[in-house]
Amino acid sequence: MRRFSAAEKREWGLFALLVSPNLFLLGVFTYWPLIYNGYLSFVRWDLLSPVKIWVGWSNYTYLFTSPDFGAILFNTLFFTLGSVVALCVLGLAVALLLNQKLRWRNSARSVIFSPVMLSGAAIGIVWIYIFDPRYGLLDVLIRLAGMRSPNWLLDPNWAMLAVIIVHVWKNLGYAVVILLAGLQAIPKELYEAAGVDGAGSIARFRAVTLPGLSPVLFFLVLTSILAGFQSFDIVKVMTEGGPIRSTTTLIYALYQEGFVAFNAGRAGVASVLLFGIMLVFTIVQFRYSEKNVHYA
Amino acid sequence: MSNQLSRRQFLWSAGAGVSALALAACVPATLPAAQPDAAPAAEPVTLTVWSSFSGKNGEAETELVKRFNESQSNVVVDYQFQGNYEETAQKVTAALQARTAPEVSLLSDVWWFKFYLSQNLLPLDDLLSAQNIDLADYQDSLINEGVRQGKHYWMPFARSTPLFYYNKEKWAAAGLPDRGPETWDEFVEWAPTLLQKEGDELKVSAFAHPDGASYIAWLFQGVAWQFNGSYSDPDFTMRMTDEATLEAGQFYKDTVHNYGWAVPSKDISSDFINGLTAASMMSTGSMGGIKANATFEFGTAFLPKKYQFGCCTGGAGLAILASTPAEKQEAAMSYIAFVSNPENTTYWAQNTGYMPVRKSALQSEAMQSYFVEFPQFKTATEQLALTRPQDAARVFVPNGDQIIGSALERITVQSDDVAVAFADVNAILETEAQPVLEALRAIEG
Repeated sequence: MRRFSAAEKREWGLFALLVSPNLFLLGVFTYWPLIYNGYLSFVRWDLLSPVKIWVGWSNYTYLFTSPDFGAILFNTLFFTLGSVVALCVLGLAVALLLNQKLRWRNSARSVIFSPVMLSGAAIGIVWIYIFDPRYGLLDVLIRLAGMRSPNWLLDPNWAMLAVIIVHVWKNLGYAVVILLAGLQAIPKELYEAAGVDGAGSIARFRAVTLPGLSPVLFFLVLTSILAGFQSFDIVKVMTEGGPIRSTTTLIYALYQEGFVAFNAGRAGVASVLLFGIMLVFTIVQFRYSEKNVHYA
Repeated sequence: MSNQLSRRQFLWSAGAGVSALALAACVPATLPAAQPDAAPAAEPVTLTVWSSFSGKNGEAETELVKRFNESQSNVVVDYQFQGNYEETAQKVTAALQARTAPEVSLLSDVWWFKFYLSQNLLPLDDLLSAQNIDLADYQDSLINEGVRQGKHYWMPFARSTPLFYYNKEKWAAAGLPDRGPETWDEFVEWAPTLLQKEGDELKVSAFAHPDGASYIAWLFQGVAWQFNGSYSDPDFTMRMTDEATLEAGQFYKDTVHNYGWAVPSKDISSDFINGLTAASMMSTGSMGGIKANATFEFGTAFLPKKYQFGCCTGGAGLAILASTPAEKQEAAMSYIAFVSNPENTTYWAQNTGYMPVRKSALQSEAMQSYFVEFPQFKTATEQLALTRPQDAARVFVPNGDQIIGSALERITVQSDDVAVAFADVNAILETEAQPVLEALRAIEG
């Protein structure tokens, strides 16, 4: 067995000393709640009574057989995928535009980024007024186009779209900043070389920009997916999961079970499920970035 | 000059604050709060009070707290706004776990019972008699709702009832008599004359329904009774699928999807104030805000009848948490007694529209002259005498309000089949009532 030298021991000691405060806080505030939540998913508890009744898998059976479960999963996926696709496509379009040498470019960048810094709850309240079909700003614009506004927040067919629009509007600046950084990291020589080979602008975009952007795009997709699964504030303020559960995502269902219905067990199941889904995406991200830390 | 904060002081205090936070994070949350063995006479008791009122009602409540703090020097109330009824209940729940609960909290009609069941509310009878509080002067129906097994747990404070509000200008324009409809059948005749349309687009509706989160199940409670139906029996037998309850549901659905004069709304009070709906049922507690903001004259009326009259009570009351240390219980009681005394309940009622909770307040000079000046409020207090407590399914089943509300949303927003929606909810209510029945058996026998 290898023996540590005094110097090595000192180094390990220092390492432990430096790491322990953070490790302690992580343990108390992250790992312990995680384990405790797993336990809660097997009990019936109203967050108040002194006893927690062990009910085995019945909270899981309840959730997975609940008539709303399919709809909630669908809502979650629809919200997450819808907003991620919109963020990437719109983000890329705006980033390409802002990467040009335009007047007011810096001001435009600031303006686009500013919603990211606003509170989701405040944004939600403002958008409730914008969406109102009788006097909202959006209605005015839609009428200019000769059409009539849908009843965004009270029609189960439109409410989710409304929530996605607000989520995308709020987070577009983040996507743009990430993609801009990616665009600027692509060496100019590649474009020049492609130009020499006779590539037009579309060919250059496909052969140089997209491949050069792919690691950044991948990072953006994953972080947006993770953020999408956890998005709560806008739904809470704008729709409270309604109308008729049409905007109830997994995290909102978790909140309703836990803090409206006070059913810690069922909320526990929802968060175990959410944790599982997020874990998969996080592992994918780690695996991918291990392989692709450097540009090919 | 010397009083101004220097940069050095600022940095030093910021550093100290951060270190304190870091240290605080390491202190176990269960550490009991330091309690002085014997409080020196000069030191006033600080009482934390949590509540849920904002806007006009919040201002009125702050004024009551100010009056209380100025009226005596033994108790200082630290008043803390906690969000709406649901958010307040959430925070009380969390605070009980963290052992940082307030001494007094406002709890709504659908929440107090949950805290009673988990034995987190203090029975108030000893405190009430020690302070010679005249219980007989409280409105019987209101004070009795907070009684379990002969003990008082929940004192009436911001108690309300649903009320029929109508826009007098729109009534006059439609040539209707200046009163509310006696019956729903009468309103079915009136409503089409109140509509304003541009093409096929509805600009002004005759009536509006809130969503589940805005307590549609509270407003529908009275309607169910008017149709001879109910949500449940007192013994938790669910009645959502009774013929009469279904008929009431069908009527609600028809107002939107058949008659077409009612709409689902995100905020009925703001729709009414902005003239987007000609009438609506709303809480009496909305009256203060409507009075302050409506630019037209509005009238109030009893709820319309169907086969009979039906109207429930609602709103919120005050409770003392069982975790309140003995030396603060008396102070907590004195605050509750103060804000519900005849003079203050009069002030509160006149500024918000909530019911005066004391009989003598109703008879008082101040209230009688207010009735002359503002007869809309008189209607509300007259209706109070005809109200009754809500069905167990809404107020005693955990989340019952939202569960019933989800079915009402399905039939008003989406025109789902009433029998199907109500049957779904009936089954959920039956399941969710079981833990309550078990808990009730355990603590009440």
